[in-house]
Amino acid sequence: MSTPDLLVQDRPAALRRLLARPELGSLIAAVAVFVVFAVVAEPFLRVSSLGTVLYAASTIGIMAVPVSLLMIGGEFDLSAGVVVTTAALTSSMVSYQFTAVTWVGVLVSLVTTLAIGWFNGWMLGRTKLPSFIVTLGTFLMLTGANLGVTKAISGTVSTKSIADMQGFESCRWLFASEVTIGGLTVKATVWWWLGLLAIGSWVLLRTRFGNWIFAVGGDADAARAVGVPVARTKTVLYLGVGFGAWVLGQHLLFSFDTVQSGEGSGNELIYIVAAVIGGCLITGGYGSVAGSALGALIFGMASKGIIYAQWNPDWFKFFLGAMLLLAALLNAYVKRRAERGPR
Amino acid sequence: MSSELLALKGVGKTYGTVRALQDVSLTLRSGEISCVLGDNGAGKSTLIKIIAGLHQHDEGSYTIGGEEVRFGSPREALDRGIATVYQDLAVVPLMPVWRNFFLGSEQGMRRWGGLRLDADAMRATTREALAKMGIDLHDVDRPIGTLSGGQRQCVAIARAVHFGAEVLILDEPTAALGVKQSGVVLKYVTAARDAGLGVVLITHNPHHAYLVGDHFTLLKRGRMAGSHPRAEISLEQLTTEMAGGSDLAELSHELARPSDSRNSSGSSGSSDSRNSSDSRDSREERPQP
Amino acid sequence: MSTTRFRPSRRFWPVCAVLAIAVTAAGCSSTGGRRAEEARAKAAATGGSAVTTPRWKVAMVTHAGAGDAFWDTVRKGAEQAAAKDNITFLYSNDAQTQNQVQLVQAAIDQKVDGLLVTLAKGDAMADVLGKAKAAGIPVITINSGEEYSAKFGALTHIGQDETTAGQAAGQEMAARGRKNVLCVIHEQGNVGQEQRCSGAQSRAGAGFQVMYVNGVNMPDARAAISAKLQSDPSIDTVLTLSGPMAATGLQAVQDAHSGIELDTFDLGPQVVAGLKSGSVGFAVDQQPYLQGYQGVDLIWLYKYNLNMLGGGKPVSTGPQILTKDNADALAEYVARGTR
Repeated sequence: MSTPDLLVQDRPAALRRLLARPELGSLIAAVAVFVVFAVVAEPFLRVSSLGTVLYAASTIGIMAVPVSLLMIGGEFDLSAGVVVTTAALTSSMVSYQFTAVTWVGVLVSLVTTLAIGWFNGWMLGRTKLPSFIVTLGTFLMLTGANLGVTKAISGTVSTKSIADMQGFESCRWLFASEVTIGGLTVKATVWWWLGLLAIGSWVLLRTRFGNWIFAVGGDADAARAVGVPVARTKTVLYLGVGFGAWVLGQHLLFSFDTVQSGEGSGNELIYIVAAVIGGCLITGGYGSVAGSALGALIFGMASKGIIYAQWNPDWFKFFLGAMLLLAALLNAYVKRRAERGPR
Repeated sequence: MSSELLALKGVGKTYGTVRALQDVSLTLRSGEISCVLGDNGAGKSTLIKIIAGLHQHDEGSYTIGGEEVRFGSPREALDRGIATVYQDLAVVPLMPVWRNFFLGSEQGMRRWGGLRLDADAMRATTREALAKMGIDLHDVDRPIGTLSGGQRQCVAIARAVHFGAEVLILDEPTAALGVKQSGVVLKYVTAARDAGLGVVLITHNPHHAYLVGDHFTLLKRGRMAGSHPRAEISLEQLTTEMAGGSDLAELSHELARPSDSRNSSGSSGSSDSRNSSDSRDSREERPQP
Repeated sequence: MSTTRFRPSRRFWPVCAVLAIAVTAAGCSSTGGRRAEEARAKAAATGGSAVTTPRWKVAMVTHAGAGDAFWDTVRKGAEQAAAKDNITFLYSNDAQTQNQVQLVQAAIDQKVDGLLVTLAKGDAMADVLGKAKAAGIPVITINSGEEYSAKFGALTHIGQDETTAGQAAGQEMAARGRKNVLCVIHEQGNVGQEQRCSGAQSRAGAGFQVMYVNGVNMPDARAAISAKLQSDPSIDTVLTLSGPMAATGLQAVQDAHSGIELDTFDLGPQVVAGLKSGSVGFAVDQQPYLQGYQGVDLIWLYKYNLNMLGGGKPVSTGPQILTKDNADALAEYVARGTR
């Protein structure tokens, strides 16, 4: 009982599918940025420079993975920047004040960041407030708590060095070591980034939970109607952000020994920029984890390429803003195409 | 006579001080299409949400296969074989067809402990299930938003049938559609009935209802205003009742005194003579998130 | 329905042109503005390089935030020294520790011939400076981090010891007979600012109070200071810790309508104007121009001749006490951006 009016005229599917990939725009942009700096900046192509660019990209990318998943799930996290500092501060201060093996601080820190993530998700589900407001609240609270608690405990705005404590070396190995492969220095963050990237992408594209992420971001009511646990899905996404913040926070601590309590704020926007450049829709329901990696890579290449090219770094933010607008326009175009049906 | 799937007896629902539904009864058997008709604000949406598990009833009883139930979530209703296709939130537009098809009932690979999605099998199953319903769609990877409204409804219906629903609830499936598309959707509704499902079809269009329905329940201001098997009512009677029925006659009588000709229709707005405050719910009961 | 279109006559455009020229001419300012700046720049023009050494490359990486006048002056000193010494000067900055570390790494990747770094974040720089040393790049630390400089293998440190600077301010205030001093800290938790205040307190020999204000919200800071002055009339001196905060402090003093003297650390156009008019008693300057200029020049000297000023001991660029006597000369130098 096939009816002719339901026969969908398929355009060349392979081509259309390629054009509809969320990463496409960021891939083109990444190649363009690479080519530009490869031409104008002689040191850019050196192996050692590649290590620096990768490192810069990884410190953005580790957070861009969970942040992009969260954005595909339709929510924001404005506290993502400062919670990294919270993670580092917690770990450092717990270890120092209790004279504990640094691993204790690391674990307490993990519990703390996950608790913050859970709090964000729980508040969101409970209050039905926009995540923008909820996480703006946590952002401000954490900014204050970072400074206040650190000053109350350490007496200064930075923590004391824990470099001579037991367990420091092994933690350092896990979070802040580096290996040199044929002249290319690869920091531990790069491995963490690649690992999170692989897991995040796999979860998004190949698991039931990934299907739910798309659904809660695309249309939460429709998802709820077919039995998707919307609030729980979003809470898990916030836990993911907490985990990423933990990893990055431990890296900061174990590579720099001490932590400045006022740092981190402002970075949440950079993570969002990386996710948006990577093809995540600001309204949710669409995007990719691989794209966020390209966004982080573009960020790393541009921020360091400008130095290698000996350009005036004052213009870096301008460049970044222009990239963001272009990416957002491209995404909006893709979404229109995707939603335009032959009605 | 086929078996009874679900039955509502004297069901009522109150939102705060607003009485949205009162004393509604309905019985559904397999292989039967039961139509619920009513104007905007008549309580249709409340009725669906109770059946689908989004809301709970305050009065009366809701039984499935003779067993009293009270659902806490749509998931529970789904597990009892009750699938609902909403007019505006049937699917997630940006997601590919196959992901939408399996949403909430994803199929995992046993090798991965059910964790990993069996994407290829899911694509193939989607294609097959759609073909079984007569929908020929090769590229199940396209966002479902690129399909037409009628096609989206059909995919949602096919999904319910495929996942073994016994009861299919359709909320205004033809409301936003043109004549031709509506016809196609109604065809799939009958296909679902032929597959042995019981269908509750919510609509305000008596013509569409009479094309496929076996039983007609009329709702008015949250109350039942009539319940007829197909054999007992003609399309004309159904249309008249929908358009206002006895209310309309009363109204035309009242308006008849001066030689005025404004008495053609407009049933829902008139509330002058019997403005009983309890039963009117001119506000539609969709709770805002 | 038709409307009459405006159709310019042949005489229209010439009239427009004349009008435009007239307006432009009348709108010209005879004082200040870009033209004055260009004239000043011409007057202060730096000559070409005066040396025959190869073109070396020196990078400076600071912890400055965006758009800070202080660092412009540092940069200007470095640029002028670089022009004189035939050096390519590369500047970059980031207020966040990890980003500043990455910028230093990027400079090492570029194989620069010399590196100038601020050590506001102390320990965090240890690793990357170790790499610079391993790569054979001479490092000089500037501005902040004197206590870390030698430990991390830098050749020397150029800057001002904040406690010493505070003591100098305290001595000067004591000499001027100030009775009750209010020290305004505008970045809570900034160690350097705490040192300035405590240094001043140790030598002022008078009543001394410290207050905290929000340095990124000037109206708020102004209101806070004037409220404090009104509530405690015994205060006769306000000590601010930066050029911009001095300007805000001056406004607050005016609000309070009292004969209060304002003293400050660092310079700025308003500070110089205040020195001239007498509303600012004195300024303690750390000479940022010198930090940039000497930084580049010392690298050049080291590469050219293996010289090192101060024998590796920190080189002080401050404190320098500036008063009304210096105001006229300073006005000119501040305007051209070298003070």
